[in-house]
Amino acid sequence: MTSNFLEIKGLHKRFGNIAALNNVSLNVSKGEVIFVIGPSGCGKSTLLRAVNWLTPPDKGEVWLEGELVGSSSSKLTIKQSQLLNGFRARMGMVFQQFNVWPHLNVLENVVRAQLVVAKRKRADAESTALKILDQVGLQNKIDEWPDHLSGGQKQRLAIARALAMDPTLMLLDEPTSALDPELIGEVLTVLKRLVNNGMTMLIVTHELGFASEFGDRLLFMDGGEVIEEGPPKKILTMPKTKRLKMFLEKLDVTSFKKEEKL
Amino acid sequence: MKFDISYTLEAFPRLLEGAFITLQVAILGFTLSVLLATTITVARTSLNSKIFNSILAFYISFIRGTPILVQIFLVYYVLPVFGLNLGPFTAGIVAITLNSAAFVTEILRGGLASVPVGQFEAAKSLGISGYALWRKIILPQTFITSIPPLVNEFTMVLKATALLSLITVVELMRVSQQIYSANYHPVEVLSGAFVIYFLMCFVVSRSSVFLENRFKVKRA
Repeated sequence: MTSNFLEIKGLHKRFGNIAALNNVSLNVSKGEVIFVIGPSGCGKSTLLRAVNWLTPPDKGEVWLEGELVGSSSSKLTIKQSQLLNGFRARMGMVFQQFNVWPHLNVLENVVRAQLVVAKRKRADAESTALKILDQVGLQNKIDEWPDHLSGGQKQRLAIARALAMDPTLMLLDEPTSALDPELIGEVLTVLKRLVNNGMTMLIVTHELGFASEFGDRLLFMDGGEVIEEGPPKKILTMPKTKRLKMFLEKLDVTSFKKEEKL
Repeated sequence: MKFDISYTLEAFPRLLEGAFITLQVAILGFTLSVLLATTITVARTSLNSKIFNSILAFYISFIRGTPILVQIFLVYYVLPVFGLNLGPFTAGIVAITLNSAAFVTEILRGGLASVPVGQFEAAKSLGISGYALWRKIILPQTFITSIPPLVNEFTMVLKATALLSLITVVELMRVSQQIYSANYHPVEVLSGAFVIYFLMCFVVSRSSVFLENRFKVKRA
């Protein structure tokens, strides 16, 4: 059963004449931390967004803990979309642009979905929210408005919002890419704690150091396909394909240039 | 002719009664128009249907392309031909609602366009969809950014109600006409109406600042 925790079967997705996903399959075990890297436009974000059906694939299936999340073979019925809401609540998603809700304060951001989706009582929802906000270090900001928070704080709030639904899986789409360099650390700290707590995670990132330290597996995608897959350290130090070698060289050059500027 | 303020003061209690009807029509008509426009806005986005959109485009261009007075007469005089006999008060509210809803729909379209797609996606990714998605996440943000044009639209509605005097709604303008056609002092009576209209609109416009502060101070 554990090997079937998350099953992604033969996903295809095209945008116009660009193949964002070209027959991508992936099995994820419970507790596994998988990093996805690749050049921009390679389909890594689409893969994540297909898992919770935010971008429904043209072809393929997604199974979570033995249950069918979505299948492209038929249009969603009303019953299926209700079920989909349940699946989505179990798959917390974190976005590059945070997408915290500006019209709700920090506490309400974390409380809202608990009331609407999980149908919790307000008192329970608030105590859960306070506990989680404490874990991400925002306990002093509960009355604050999101627009008054730094990027790192917004992203920690977005993570807390997802965690409040007790997800079994976290999908993180470039969680640190929109952050100033000095704010990346505080978000990575929160993510590291999640890894240590045994959370199953799919993370799209450019933080190769983080990936090699904490990833169980690393996927390199290009042109909508998984090109290489394996233990992060091995893949990053001994790339087999030319495409991955070129990708890593480019990353090294850019990070070198950044250092030079400093 | 000398301006005799005693005629204004004498007319004032009745003018205020008329102003009360004016406010009733304006508030009722505007509330209904916001409800209608909100429904249209949500339907337009969720249905994404070409037929619905073209009907809507026709409705909006019809409302924008014809004088509101003609629309009021149309509702009052033409609908009875089809057996729908509304009194002047109801006909007035229907006309005001249908007219204002077209403009509020356009205002809300702008407000909705300022809500990033990510706001929808974040809600959906947590399992919030349908009614709750709109009610709890999207519409509050749409309305907050739309406060100034909405308040402006309400003052337009408030002033447009004066036209309902022509279909015998006994609002502020109609009351003024009744008084000065009896006492032959239109200047004094209309001055009173002028001041009351101005004060009502002034208070409404100021409320925009209040509402913006109430909802935006936290964001600035």
